[in-house]
Amino acid sequence: MPVTVGPYGQSQPSCFDRVKMGFMMGFAVGMAAGALFGTFSCLRIGMRGRELVGGVGKTMMQSGGTFGTFMAIGMGIRC
Amino acid sequence: TGAAAPSPCVHPGLDPWRIVDDCGGAFTMGAIGGGIFQAIKGFRNSPVGVNHRLRGSLTAIKTRAPQLGGSFAVWGGLFSMIDCSMVRMRGKEDPWNSITSGALTGAILAARNGPVAMVGSAAMGGILLALIEGAGILLTRFASTQFANGPQFSDDPSQLPPAPSPSPFGDYRQYQ
Repeated sequence: MPVTVGPYGQSQPSCFDRVKMGFMMGFAVGMAAGALFGTFSCLRIGMRGRELVGGVGKTMMQSGGTFGTFMAIGMGIRC
Repeated sequence: TGAAAPSPCVHPGLDPWRIVDDCGGAFTMGAIGGGIFQAIKGFRNSPVGVNHRLRGSLTAIKTRAPQLGGSFAVWGGLFSMIDCSMVRMRGKEDPWNSITSGALTGAILAARNGPVAMVGSAAMGGILLALIEGAGILLTRFASTQFANGPQFSDDPSQLPPAPSPSPFGDYRQYQ
C-alpha cells in the first residue's frame, strides 16, 4: 500500500513509506558522518592509501546501517 | 528542527510535555534498536548450539538494551530541554538551535571526562546534528520541488523532519 488517501483527497505517505524514508535519511546521514569520523579514526590508527579507502568505506557502511536502523525505528514508533 | 514547523515550545502550556515526549521516544528507540543489535551480537558471540545461542542473545538483550535506551533517553531529554530553552530565549526556531543544543548536550554529558573530551563530544554532537538538519532541509526542498502543486506537502515535510530531529540525537552519541 503505497499511499493512503488523506483528508484532502491527496496522497499522504503511509507508515511504511515514512519508515523507509527514515531509513534512507538515516543511511545518508550515517554515511556522511561515517566518512567524516571514519577518516579521522582510520588515519589515526595508521592506515594509508588503498587500505585507508577500504577502512573508510567500511566505517561508512556500518554507521549508515546503524543510523538508518535507528532512524527507521524512530519513525516507526511515531506513526 | 525545520523552519516550517510551528514551535511547540512557544506555547507555554505545551512546554514540558515535548521534553517528556522526546525522552520517552528516545528510550523506546534505543531499547528497540539496542534489542535488535544486541540480539545479533549475543547470537554470534555464544557457543555453538541453537539453545546456547538463543539464550545468549536473550541475555545480551536483557542486559544491554535497557542500558542503551537509558543513554538515548538522557541524550534526547537533555537535547530537548536545551532546544526548548533556546527557542524560548531566541524567540525563533532554526537549525542553529538544534546544532547548538546538540553540541551543548555532548559537552554536558562528557563533563566528567575532562575538557578535552567535552570539546570532542561537543564537536561530534554539533556535526551530527548539522548533518541531520541538512538532510531534513534537503528532504524538504526535494519534496517541495517534486510535488510543487500539492497543497499537502506544505505541511507534510514539516511533520516529517520534526519527528526525526528530536529523537535522532539519541542515536549517535553512543558510538563514541
